[in-house]
Amino acid sequence: MSPLRLFFKAHFSTFLLDTREEPLYRMVKHLGIVGAGAMGAGMAQIAALAGIDVALYDVNGTVLRQAIERIKTNLAREASIGNLSQESAAATLERIHPRTRLVELNSSEIVLEAAIEDLRMKKDLLRHVEADTKPTTILATTTSTLSITAVASATHHPEKVVGLHFLGPAQDVKLVEIVRGDHTSADTVQRCVEFSRQLGKPSVVVYDSPGFLVNRVIQPFFDEPLRIVGEKVADPEQVDRIARTIGGFAAGPFETMDNAGLDTTLDVREGLYNSFSGEPRFRPHPVLKLKVAAGATGRKSGRGFFEYPEKKG
Amino acid sequence: MKTKKVKSRKKQSRVVRPRDSRSIVHIVGDPANVEEYVRICSAHGYNVSYHCPGSLEPLSTIELSAARNESHVPANASFALELTNVDLDQKRRNLEMLDKVLPSTTAIVSSSITVTATEQASWIRHKVRLVGCSALPTLGDKPLIEIAPTVFSPGATVQVVQTFFRSIGKDIELVQDRIGMVFPRILCRVINEAAFALQEEIALPHDLDQAMVVAAGFPVGPIAWAERIGITQVYAVLKSLNRDLGEDRTRVAPLLTQMALSGTWWQQATAFHEERR
Repeated sequence: MSPLRLFFKAHFSTFLLDTREEPLYRMVKHLGIVGAGAMGAGMAQIAALAGIDVALYDVNGTVLRQAIERIKTNLAREASIGNLSQESAAATLERIHPRTRLVELNSSEIVLEAAIEDLRMKKDLLRHVEADTKPTTILATTTSTLSITAVASATHHPEKVVGLHFLGPAQDVKLVEIVRGDHTSADTVQRCVEFSRQLGKPSVVVYDSPGFLVNRVIQPFFDEPLRIVGEKVADPEQVDRIARTIGGFAAGPFETMDNAGLDTTLDVREGLYNSFSGEPRFRPHPVLKLKVAAGATGRKSGRGFFEYPEKKG
Repeated sequence: MKTKKVKSRKKQSRVVRPRDSRSIVHIVGDPANVEEYVRICSAHGYNVSYHCPGSLEPLSTIELSAARNESHVPANASFALELTNVDLDQKRRNLEMLDKVLPSTTAIVSSSITVTATEQASWIRHKVRLVGCSALPTLGDKPLIEIAPTVFSPGATVQVVQTFFRSIGKDIELVQDRIGMVFPRILCRVINEAAFALQEEIALPHDLDQAMVVAAGFPVGPIAWAERIGITQVYAVLKSLNRDLGEDRTRVAPLLTQMALSGTWWQQATAFHEERR
């Protein structure tokens, strides 16, 4: 065994899960989703496509109807371009059951909480979900910014609480970060690894830390170019050209930030900076703040680091 | 008499391009960088001589017939590449030797990701002949190279350098002369953050790499990339950035420092990734 492997085996023993292809647990048959916004509806569609019965809950009946309509439109589009048969689209839609009472999620093996990023609201929801579901039900939060340990603190069984951070657009999730809080059990994590596999999405297990893994490690890919441009070492076009041609990236950092939205990029960075108690590595760059203050929030506003005439009003 | 002196000084201060592809290119520096450029220059028809001071091992993939390992700088070389990033004292000795032996009309392109090209030019007598470049192992094969003129570099030197790189199939991107330049600076800072995350046990190394490739669109995960470049090279860039910028945000992750100080440990562990593949 290589020295590096020995080092990490010693240091990461808690992460060494069973990665065999054969599942240790039964496949998930019933999934509950709390919150029918873009993320909740997207998850419902993905799970239903994987053959899982979904109870989609929202306190607001209108939001729930809109979510079902959106899913219906998405499935029809997939069917029209030949990615899905008409029968499969219809069967997928039938697997999604709109619900307006939490107690109707009681048969779920996993409940995904996909409400807005508000700690008090998420804690409150999980406490109610825990009371209304089976003792074995896993409570998963889809938060991208809040601490799993903090969310789990409202429950009686924090060992069943886990983070499932879906990266990428709701309809096209690239990766699931399975986030274990301080009290999340290995059993809960293993069941989520298998659930991700059932959804057909790759997953990685990460520890509960601000930004989790990808949103944190990618930060220098955005921040260092801002500093390079701020110091006039090169301009954004040059940096992007260099990143594509020398680095082999599909898009340069400035194009990526423009596409994601500079306001979103700044929000993530400020969140990390605050969560790490002012760690200088995550300090937002003034150039980014200035762009957002000027309303140049990227492609969606018609201008960011580059101009997008087609989006201008 | 006075006019004659000025003329001769002008003549001395102008570098000239290699006459043809049979010209001799002398390459000196860190083995991984030297190896890449010996291969590229030989493939484009140059006569190449090279030297890796302090390295006892022969370069692994270079055919002996294609290039000569010369500990002495050939005085008839018409272009020189100095590609040291790690040992800056050795780099200075290399540059002083090149400057002493080569005619003043021979351009020197020197890796300037751990010390600025301007500082390097200040070490030698014929300052106008030196231009900086970003030479980091694994980047040599790319069709673009970052070039940093110094405060002494006249346009003529930059043109000669541009012509040389075009002759080996590379476009150039002119950037300001700063430590890390553009891509090595971005990449090494990402690797540093990945090392902080590993040190805090956020994820396993192979999960970290997989996540960055699948979700963030990285062509290679940062840990695997660091292993390919060589941890001592990454550490040298990060240390230099920290020294130059003097900012707390650029401090090197302790795990990375430990790995770099423990020699080739990380590189030996390449098997870690190979096994999984």
